[in-house]
Amino acid sequence: MSHINAVSFTILIVLFALVTCIGFAAVRWRRAEDSLHLNEWGLGGRGFGSFVTWFLLGGDLYTAYTFIAVPALVYGIGAAGFFTLSYTIMVYPIVFVFLPRLWSVARVHGYITPADFIHGRYGSRGLALAVAFTGILAVMPYIALQLVGIQAVLTVMGIGGSSTTGFVHDLPLIIAFLILAGYTFVSGLRAPALIAFIKDTLIYVMIIVAVIYIPIRVGGWGHIFSVADTHLKATNPKTGKPNGSLIEQPAGMWAYSTLALGSALALFMYPHNITGVFAANRRKVIRRNVAALPAYSLVLGLIALLGYMALAAPGVPAEVKAHDANAQLAVPFLFQRIFPSWFAGIGFAAIVIGALVPAAIMAIAAANLFARNIYKEYFRPNASAAEQTKASQWASIVVKLGALLFVLFVKQTYAIQFQLLGGIWIVQTFPAIVAGLYTRWFHRWALVIGWAVAMVFGTIAAYRLPAPGEPGTHFGASVDTLPVINHTIYIGLTGLVINLVISVVLTLVFRAVKLPGGRDETRPEHYVADPEPAAAEPVPVAAGAAGAAGVG
Amino acid sequence: MTHSGPPRTRTGTWLLVAILLLVAVLGTLIVPIYARSSPYLGSFPFFYWYQLLWVPVTALLTTICYLITTKVARPAPDSQGGRAEPGAPVPAQPPTGHGEAL
Repeated sequence: MSHINAVSFTILIVLFALVTCIGFAAVRWRRAEDSLHLNEWGLGGRGFGSFVTWFLLGGDLYTAYTFIAVPALVYGIGAAGFFTLSYTIMVYPIVFVFLPRLWSVARVHGYITPADFIHGRYGSRGLALAVAFTGILAVMPYIALQLVGIQAVLTVMGIGGSSTTGFVHDLPLIIAFLILAGYTFVSGLRAPALIAFIKDTLIYVMIIVAVIYIPIRVGGWGHIFSVADTHLKATNPKTGKPNGSLIEQPAGMWAYSTLALGSALALFMYPHNITGVFAANRRKVIRRNVAALPAYSLVLGLIALLGYMALAAPGVPAEVKAHDANAQLAVPFLFQRIFPSWFAGIGFAAIVIGALVPAAIMAIAAANLFARNIYKEYFRPNASAAEQTKASQWASIVVKLGALLFVLFVKQTYAIQFQLLGGIWIVQTFPAIVAGLYTRWFHRWALVIGWAVAMVFGTIAAYRLPAPGEPGTHFGASVDTLPVINHTIYIGLTGLVINLVISVVLTLVFRAVKLPGGRDETRPEHYVADPEPAAAEPVPVAAGAAGAAGVG
Repeated sequence: MTHSGPPRTRTGTWLLVAILLLVAVLGTLIVPIYARSSPYLGSFPFFYWYQLLWVPVTALLTTICYLITTKVARPAPDSQGGRAEPGAPVPAQPPTGHGEAL
């Protein structure tokens, strides 16, 4: 790819520039008097109503993983990749139960991170550190994956990406990321919250046009499914088995449902998603959004189908094959081949901006964890709110640079593998956080040990799994056959069960020997509280409240 | 559950909510329900249109849960009164805990 399409490129640049301006200007949006408090930089003043939260959480939950990796999976293996749709369907009924409680207790006590809650609930620095550490560890490769998404677009556009000539080819990605780091540093969570409006609008426009226009261009849905079926039935030379299947086969059903369930349990354990939740101004904002967010799941389902459209689009499979059979490029090539170049530019911008928004929130969330639960907790116990904010701002830069270096110097596939690992890790914080919202029965040290064992188990189990058809490789998958029941199960879920069993057994033991349980600063009513935002906060509550009364 | 109110109605409501949410989760958790190609909807195999259809179904179920939990938890005078069930007395709520008791 030597030539660059000027029209696509111009549209991408214009939209990127627009987003950059908004990102820096966001610092003035709902400006606070005490802008140096971490509530402001890290949580946008905790003042977002239903509408903003819907865009913010939508922009947060649906990442480059959604736009690039999911259709790539469907492109490669078919039905099995659709577990992602099932997972984004079941996540909302699950979080409907506990997310409002988490929001309430965080609002009452001013918790900024999930580890803050753990600290307050269990009176345990160790458990809080474990949760903070897991959050940072899991979110780092997730940020790197956003970069991989951007890189896929740049590669297809012929401006950098899978470089053979090093630094210069990576320059566009580096510049994009430095700009992102800049406005995240300046504006904090307000930047991605504002940009999310543009992101989500672009995504909706892109997918609506794609599902109408592309089938017309390539010969209809019947043709798309039949081409996909042929491709999936063909034998993969590497494994000697079919590539996949159009309908999930009995052998894969356990993997399918456990991946879906495990990912659903994990999703709101990710610190960036909890950040989006904590930024809401009222309890009902969370509850309403749980009912309204599935609109994005529909988008995810349609985006997954882009994988099949790419298989059926003339020239796209050949292009993908010519680029190391990198299925991540399927959707960008699909846009390039099928859309007129101006709309391809919009589609590319949707993916790039779609990666920037979650990357910013992830960096903020990881930085908050660092500032609150490591820096303040272990190094500067007397750090003022302003000092914590400074620490968090700089940490966000470090986190982003780390992700950038990871993508530049480590093989791209590792970013995806580590992201899979991240899911296995983060779901291990589920018992401490979610059980903690209901009961103090679990002993803090039982939870720590359960967590630690499950982390080690998950990492080793994933390490032992070679990629399909590549014996000797590691971290190639995230499902494994469970000996006793002889089904293929998501490792994250197996780890979660181990985690829970250990936590229960050791709690019984520790309670029997009367090991001190730690002080609990929360009270039952805190979990259902819905405090009015303080008068000092720049929060326009009226609109949201009036709307709620109408709905209720 | 810091609220007053008739315990039987309250328990019944939470049970209903739990069942609705469980249905929403099980709809796609049990893969054998939908891992088949027929019946087709247009050119879409059942496997695909069923899951896509389940998105609005889940949204509807969680919306219903939102509405009934809001109604149960907020028969308070400020929520445009009159929506509470006839038998439900106005509860004396603690000042900080007037949210839903989920």
